[in-house]
Amino acid sequence: MNDLLEVRNISVSFDGFKAINSLSWSIGYPELRAIIGPNGAGKTTLMDIISGKTKADSGKVLWDEVAIPLTQKSEYQIAKLGIGRKFQRPTIFEEQSVEENIIVSLKNNRGFFAALTYKYTDQEKFRVGEIASTIKLTSLLSKKAGELSHGQKQWLEIGMLLSQDPKLLLIDEPAAGMTTKERNMTVQLLRDLSKTKSIIVVEHDMEFIRNLGCRVTVLHEGSVLAEGSIDHVSKNKEVVEVYLGR
Amino acid sequence: MNFIKRNQSLNFVIFFFLFSLVVTIASELAMGLFSTSFVKVLGKTMMLCLAAIALDLVWGYCGILSLGHMAFFALGGYLIGMWLMYERTKEIVISAASEQLIPLTPEETKEAIGNQIFGVVGGSDIPIIWIFADSLIIHLLLIVIIPGLLALVFGWLAFRSRVTGVYLSILTQAMTLALSLYLFQNDSGLRGNNGLSGLQNIPGYGNLTQDVISVIFLWLSTFALCCGFYLASIITKSKLGNLLVGIRDDEARVRFLGYNVELYKLLIFVVTAIMAAIAGSLYYPQAGIVNPTELAPIASIYLAVWVSIGGRGKLIGAVLGAAFVSLISSFFTSGQIPNIDFWIININWVDWWLIILGLSFVSITLTTQNGLFGLIEKVKERVINK
Repeated sequence: MNDLLEVRNISVSFDGFKAINSLSWSIGYPELRAIIGPNGAGKTTLMDIISGKTKADSGKVLWDEVAIPLTQKSEYQIAKLGIGRKFQRPTIFEEQSVEENIIVSLKNNRGFFAALTYKYTDQEKFRVGEIASTIKLTSLLSKKAGELSHGQKQWLEIGMLLSQDPKLLLIDEPAAGMTTKERNMTVQLLRDLSKTKSIIVVEHDMEFIRNLGCRVTVLHEGSVLAEGSIDHVSKNKEVVEVYLGR
Repeated sequence: MNFIKRNQSLNFVIFFFLFSLVVTIASELAMGLFSTSFVKVLGKTMMLCLAAIALDLVWGYCGILSLGHMAFFALGGYLIGMWLMYERTKEIVISAASEQLIPLTPEETKEAIGNQIFGVVGGSDIPIIWIFADSLIIHLLLIVIIPGLLALVFGWLAFRSRVTGVYLSILTQAMTLALSLYLFQNDSGLRGNNGLSGLQNIPGYGNLTQDVISVIFLWLSTFALCCGFYLASIITKSKLGNLLVGIRDDEARVRFLGYNVELYKLLIFVVTAIMAAIAGSLYYPQAGIVNPTELAPIASIYLAVWVSIGGRGKLIGAVLGAAFVSLISSFFTSGQIPNIDFWIININWVDWWLIILGLSFVSITLTTQNGLFGLIEKVKERVINK
């Protein structure tokens, strides 16, 4: 298992507060990885750095086998390289149909004029159908995205990431606001996807993490505190102290 | 449903073609029902509609509330006005000199033109920016190039720093105000607060009466409006349209899908600035005069009010709002309606119109989702359901 993404010695501080403190960390391909940690541990900040939303003060982020440095790239360039980002709050285009949401996400030329002259091909129609069935929204393709339930919006956003055909998915709190049934379906979806993609999941819900059954990284005060299976890290004394035992 | 939608722009073109045909027949050229000045009002209104389409694209669809589009509009007017005024003055100078025994040298002609145009601001030299004023073709190109470049530079600076929302609106308003104040100066080279005048005459066609010219501009305006609407509807119906609405509703999502949001904003800003400039270049020859007050921020605010009264995010809504409100507005402020003495209040329509406009703006935005267009849709739905 080669590294898909390597974070090397990254530090970021906001107004003197060290959100990320010389963090080094990596993820292989394909792999499903959960990141946990108490509030303010730097989980979301780490995702922001990888996706280009936040610029690191020092350190490197290296992507793929050829080790492309990501730290100087802007968000859209990083997205084009194959990194999809899902936010905590579902961010979808509420005024547009589910189908339109997926179409604009499909991997193709991102240029202004290409968008103007774009034609929706049968091949792409087929691909949209595939994605819709993966995220269980086949019967709702023509519905306005704003009218979906909260859980369905979360899935639609995941579906939009899939349409980009990324190698790495960054998923921030997917289970928030979901029913138990929806959670279990989301676990299944992520596990299936992780066969062909690398996925980083940030989540607070321990049962959700346990169900994912993957390696877990525990962050604390901007650095890696422990790493391993959920049973392994939950036996770690330091982890219990800072996080689980509270 | 799709079939009707797809033919919307065709319906639009047919409607305005028939409209202009009816106006032409009713004009002084044929039946004489509509006065020449009324024909000009209609032509001007169409160009305000085109400016409204431009603002609707950039604001209603892409979410950038620009308070600078009427500045691009007025710039278009200035750029065509320079050619109109220069060539017209040249004609006058040459015909006045034809009675003299010795013909004027080119230098003397230039000086006479300079005196005629700039005497009012105490000068006779022709400023360097008038260097191409004798060429219609270059000035037609400048109508596209100068507002386009201004929008490009301004937009690049603003969007690159990720200025959004109300801050961007304030920035565009500052640009408009700065431009207006600059043009107010006598040494701006554009006649200060006098502006450019006499634009209603077409150089080289001195024998054409205003009756004919008004109809020519009516048709030019119809053509420009239909082209603008067609272009705008192509944009809004393409994937680009989806992306613009996406940028309006959730900019970050579009960015993290791999689109260069700043470039998209910049290009739509430039395209709509050029649309507004073209509209202005056809509006001011019908108005006859362009001056710096036309660039005042209030003009751009009015445009935004028209678009939101008509229905933001709907092209027809923008056209409807601009046509409806600007026509009523010129009706109320023309002084044709007698003032009313009501108890102790004297209702003077020129002033009271603004209050009516303000109240209707507030009530329409509060009660309907999509302005007048939304209201019409609602009524249609009710009628069909009954």
